[in-house]
Amino acid sequence: MSLQQSTKDTGEFIDQTTEQDTGKRHTRLALYVKRFRRNVPAVIGLAVFLVLVLVAAFGWLLTPYAIADIDFMALSQPPNPTHWFGTNSTGLDLYSMTVHGLGRSLIIALAVAGLTIVIAAFLGALAAYRGGKTEAVILGVVNFLLVCPVFLLEAVIAQKSGGSWVWLIFVLTLFGWMVTARVIWQLSTSIREREYIAAARYMGVPGIVVVLRHMVPNIGSLLVVQFVLGIVSTVMSETALSFLGFGIKIPDVSLGSLLMDGQKVLSTTPWAFFFPAGTMMLLTVSVALMADGLRDALDPNSAAGGRA
Amino acid sequence: MAKYLIRQVLAWLVRIFIAVNLTFFVASAFLDPASNYAERRPPVPPEQIQRMLEPYNLSTNEPLWHRWWDWLTGIVLHWDWGHSPVGEVVNDQVSFRIGMSAQLMMGATIVAFVIGVALGVYSAARQYKLGDRVVQLISIVALNTSIVVVALVVVYLAIQINRATGSRIFFVTGAASIDVAGFWPSLVDKAQHLILPSICLVFISFAQYAMMQRSLLLDNIAADYVRTARAKGLPQAKAIRRHALRTSMIPVMVTFAFSIPAVFTGAMLSENIFAWNGMGQYMVQTILKNDINGAVAVAAFSSLMTAIGAVLSDLCVVWLDPRVRVS
Repeated sequence: MSLQQSTKDTGEFIDQTTEQDTGKRHTRLALYVKRFRRNVPAVIGLAVFLVLVLVAAFGWLLTPYAIADIDFMALSQPPNPTHWFGTNSTGLDLYSMTVHGLGRSLIIALAVAGLTIVIAAFLGALAAYRGGKTEAVILGVVNFLLVCPVFLLEAVIAQKSGGSWVWLIFVLTLFGWMVTARVIWQLSTSIREREYIAAARYMGVPGIVVVLRHMVPNIGSLLVVQFVLGIVSTVMSETALSFLGFGIKIPDVSLGSLLMDGQKVLSTTPWAFFFPAGTMMLLTVSVALMADGLRDALDPNSAAGGRA
Repeated sequence: MAKYLIRQVLAWLVRIFIAVNLTFFVASAFLDPASNYAERRPPVPPEQIQRMLEPYNLSTNEPLWHRWWDWLTGIVLHWDWGHSPVGEVVNDQVSFRIGMSAQLMMGATIVAFVIGVALGVYSAARQYKLGDRVVQLISIVALNTSIVVVALVVVYLAIQINRATGSRIFFVTGAASIDVAGFWPSLVDKAQHLILPSICLVFISFAQYAMMQRSLLLDNIAADYVRTARAKGLPQAKAIRRHALRTSMIPVMVTFAFSIPAVFTGAMLSENIFAWNGMGQYMVQTILKNDINGAVAVAAFSSLMTAIGAVLSDLCVVWLDPRVRVS
């Protein structure tokens, strides 16, 4: 308990100094790092996530087989020194497919999480700042999209694309921003009553600038956490779409499409399912642990801030 | 209260109406009913395909505007949601499948809620001790694992068990065997089919209740009224159960109420993996078979369920929390 108290005190102390002296800005970052490192599962999550990113980026260097290279001498082989994750019934190397699928899922997840957070932050903060008609319109659209059968619309539109991942990013972003926008709007409504917003307003700062320069940075910690959680939910939706055959299709490969292939041969060549499934689980769980640690590290009021 | 409720319901009905119509136009733009006949041998000429689609109100010979009007008036005047491109009646499909989904989902959702709340209370009462850490870890893994992975692992294990014992203890597809008669045998048969998808659904959904219940209970355990209860001489367990749990369960119940309707379409992936003929499977099939009318009916159903969930959770708050007054 005393540890918790002291962290809180230092937190406030440093906050005050940074506001007066911008030269000491890095101390705040150091504080965040310190708090984050106290959360052991979060550090493990970050390490696993970084390893996965490295594997997705450079893993193809470790194998002579490309995703489309068929090894006719090795059909449905269990894992062995040549084919680390084994091969499937057509002789495709599962290691290179998993690495490629991981990269594909990561790109989609990062892009969608990034785009949705930008849209949601802007619209959510704008609605809270402007109030009145703007707020009514934005919230009306959000509430309407919440009742829309989002997954069905995503599937209907995505299946027409022929498996293009750029198209999938577009579809997932189009129907993915509203829940986050609602959360951001809720937090922003409390911020808009603060003195510094009123001060900016009375100084004649234009509305857009107030939103972008004063409101969005002050909900920064929420944005970071929502961004990281967005990665998890995007990986899940992408997997669901591709697994059902509406998302990524041959010749491209994602973790979801690998799971679809793996399902068909589950009882005969289980490694075709277990390697992509394990990779996906590592990805989502590590990112979720990271989000947990970030939430505690960035939020000065978090109850678990110093203790965990 | 009644006034507030009526206003809410009306607003939701307007949203549902717009959402369903939007889905109709999106589905008409992206789904091509004619492609169901494209694979036929001998090949059917395109004009003939359009003539075959005409009685189902799916032919592109008629302008989209007309088709929309026929579709809408059919629903409003006769409650007729149309036909699939090969002539199945959407109404029959939906009414059959709602029952199938309910069979699977109701039990799983209630079990997940009970397990979730129990684990949440257990770990909150032992904050930062070993039991709490273990529950937290399991919850975070369960919450962030795709149901595809969970379901296929369960299927794999079931197949292994069946092989090892040399008998069919678990059925990995379908809802019932056709050759089973009598009350007790069919009950056992039902259980053999239900158990695997239920395990999957419980595994992915208990964690949200557990984590929510834990953090809410922790907020309340330190509250003044719980300390008062302890000071009066109540044991900690009783103070938690009688005082802290009562208030902290309200938001969890609200989430639960909100999730009851969502379960129908939420089981989409597990229904597909376990070949369960429910609404979730129907949704995927309508898209794969370019069944515009079927897809729109699923959309309408899921929008309605979302709206019911939202109204239910509003009611739940008012009902459970005496401090909330709606004007």
